[in-house]
Amino acid sequence: MIRVESITMHEFRGIRDLTLDFKEKSFAICGPNGTGKSGVVDALEFALTGNVSRLSGEGRGDVSLKQHGPHVDRRNDPDKARVTVRVTIPSLSKTVDIERSLKNPATAQVVPADPAVLEVLRQVEAHPEIVLSRRELIRYVLATPGKRAEEVQALLHLDQVEQVRVGLQKIANACERQLVPLGTAVTLARENLLRALGISELVKEKVLATANAQRMSLSLPALMDLTETTSLKDGMATPGPAQPQRIPKAQTLADIRATREDLAEIGSDDTMKRVVEVSADLNVLIGDPAVAASVKREAFFTTGMELVEARACPFCDIPWDLGELKKHIQAKIDHLKEVSRKRRAAETKIAPLITTLRKVQAAINTVVGYAALATPPLALKAAHEYGVQCGSAIERLNALLPLAETIKVLANVPIIPQTILDDIRELEQVVAALPEPTKQDAAREWLVVAQERLEIWRDAMRKHKVAKDQALRTRQISDIYAAASDKVLAGIYADVEKDFASLYGFINRDDEDKFKAQLIPSLGKLGFDVDFYGRGFFPPGAYHSEGHQDGMGLCLYLALMKHLQGGNFIFSVLDDVLMSVDAGHRREVCALLKKEFPNTQFIMTTHDPIWLRHMRTEGIIGGRSAVHFRNWSVDLGPTRWDARDVWTEIADDLKDSDVRAAASLLRHYLEYESAELCHRLRAPVEFRGDAQYQLGELLPPAITRMRELYSRAKKAGNSWNQREIIEQLSAREHEFAKLAEASNAEQWQVNVAVHYNFWDNLGKEDFAPVVKAFHDLLGGFTCTDCGEYLRVSPEREVAESIRCECGKTMINLRKKSE
Amino acid sequence: MTTSTILERTSDVPAQVFEKFLQALRDAGGSAELVARLRKTLLEDKKFTERALREAVLPEEPLP
Repeated sequence: MIRVESITMHEFRGIRDLTLDFKEKSFAICGPNGTGKSGVVDALEFALTGNVSRLSGEGRGDVSLKQHGPHVDRRNDPDKARVTVRVTIPSLSKTVDIERSLKNPATAQVVPADPAVLEVLRQVEAHPEIVLSRRELIRYVLATPGKRAEEVQALLHLDQVEQVRVGLQKIANACERQLVPLGTAVTLARENLLRALGISELVKEKVLATANAQRMSLSLPALMDLTETTSLKDGMATPGPAQPQRIPKAQTLADIRATREDLAEIGSDDTMKRVVEVSADLNVLIGDPAVAASVKREAFFTTGMELVEARACPFCDIPWDLGELKKHIQAKIDHLKEVSRKRRAAETKIAPLITTLRKVQAAINTVVGYAALATPPLALKAAHEYGVQCGSAIERLNALLPLAETIKVLANVPIIPQTILDDIRELEQVVAALPEPTKQDAAREWLVVAQERLEIWRDAMRKHKVAKDQALRTRQISDIYAAASDKVLAGIYADVEKDFASLYGFINRDDEDKFKAQLIPSLGKLGFDVDFYGRGFFPPGAYHSEGHQDGMGLCLYLALMKHLQGGNFIFSVLDDVLMSVDAGHRREVCALLKKEFPNTQFIMTTHDPIWLRHMRTEGIIGGRSAVHFRNWSVDLGPTRWDARDVWTEIADDLKDSDVRAAASLLRHYLEYESAELCHRLRAPVEFRGDAQYQLGELLPPAITRMRELYSRAKKAGNSWNQREIIEQLSAREHEFAKLAEASNAEQWQVNVAVHYNFWDNLGKEDFAPVVKAFHDLLGGFTCTDCGEYLRVSPEREVAESIRCECGKTMINLRKKSE
Repeated sequence: MTTSTILERTSDVPAQVFEKFLQALRDAGGSAELVARLRKTLLEDKKFTERALREAVLPEEPLP
């Protein structure tokens, strides 16, 4: 999508004022820990996406982009913290400047801001995965399958896929949950209907037989069929308004018996046991005030998450970082998952209690209804109140919150006040004392009650059917979605798996060239097993070393990016991603990046100068495509081992008569440059296991090696009879000898400690010539055209030539006979 | 190269998943109206919230 030409940072993180010129090429930023490398990475991410992942998301605590993004001395002035990047968009052949300030991270100043440019930048902004740090990299490898699926899906931008999966699943679950109370209603209605009909099975023949027996008493024609609309009392005269409704004696006595049975059930030991168990569970939840508070907020967060869609607060219109805000809310929702699990367990235990309460409530309401038909009417006040109390208890147990009130209500569930039983007994006595109805009246009462309960049952059945259809449909949709997404993702993972194994096999081809891997997706999880030397497939952390795991993380990332962006994967930032990989394998990583991703501009940070050299020798980066930070201070930010900067700084120190500072800087710079020269010229150096070389152990071998190379080059020229070249080489050799002599550096071979420590004791005028001598000496190692240090080629085996980065210097070292 | 070409070349995995889902739903006997509503929600409006999905799956059909 884009390549980055340059970046300028002002007062951003630990950087005061720094410009890096990438020239659209891969670039390395090297330096010890704490010198500001990651600040550049943060600045790049900020300029391109408006976010810094290091300062946002899970586990970042109180750290935030706006507050902690500016340099600490500018923390109250976020507008001063600015990053500008100049990018090119190859597909549009355009160069674009993007500038952001921390005062308003979500808004970038883009020039030119035409629609095509903005669309490409929107795509870039939507792909923060262009920046990969070691912390993120290891998450792909060592995560649990569920967490890995989330990480990989985030990288592949599959959060939308996951969101839809969860959404459809929730809808299906909600529909299925509705079935429970509706199912209970059907069961209750059926039991009441069976009791009214006086049969034990609700089958058409038995219903018709018993109904027709009653109809015959009223000389009504027999019903031939029982359909959805059949009325059991079809053809029966409707009682006139003057006729008072009578208590159906037999039915009332049967219902009273059923009510007693229901009350006995709710007052049973089983109910008491369940109440004690559920109360104990709820007391655990309520014991933690934070948990109780979180339970209350779950619905709020979930609703909030759904509503957070715009890029600004809907109340005050202040822009917010949508990604950061969503991560923040998601972290809170994740925290509630365990609480939700406990709550669901308690709800499952409470469900049978709610069913029993519904039965009792329905039974009580029925007998209270009969009592109103008595002459004079009976109030059954206690029973009526108990029925209302059951209704309130059902509501409370369904709501569950607040927990304290639910626990209180639970304690009363198995308690049946004696007054209710007294009320029921009173009604039973009144009904029992009623005269027996005539056969016709009894039949009429029977048909009225039976029809009434048949309609209640039909209504309950209809509602249950609608809910069941919805539940089936939504579950089917959810299942089809899960299967379809799994299928697509399985295909993607198969491709990624193949690419990953190929990339990892390449960097470990010395011993794992037949490496294989398995990515196993299933229901929102992603298993990841890797072959271990043909002994089977195991999780990456099981047997592979930390270094191998780092390599796996990088290869998995590259494979995913290859799939995600294809030919558009032309820019990526790798922030110290190969910390644990050994030197040999880092070289292979360089070779891999060059071979497999020749069109991708990599911005890489490392604290390891050896890897920086590998990047150069493998051709990932050019000679000038690197910056080496030497130190960092809170006042100045990073300072770099940049030739011009160092010599200017030394000159400034001398101007201030600070010889000690100038000498110290010169010493460290020469140490750094001498190591580079020894590496480039393949100079033999006395080996040190701790790799802590002093200047006297590096610079003299570099000088000796340069002279030896000129001597070999002259001999080679002689063998080819190249007089002109020999003359040129002699002139260079002579010039170089003069420079070496002037610096007196070779003498340090005799005593490595004395000479540079002595510099501190020199006066300003004495030290200036020393500086000049070494400045000139380093110049003697460079190409006169490009100014880069010369190097021996190839890097290993027999030395064939001395070259420079630009190709203008090319000195043959091989004799004709060779 | 136009912007749309650039976008096409970037693998839009969610769009692939949604297309596959709608095809499978149609094959499983999902009504044309249901498929059309889900297509509009997922691919045109790009709405992925539970609320938006509920409106597409159960339009004007409150739970009993």
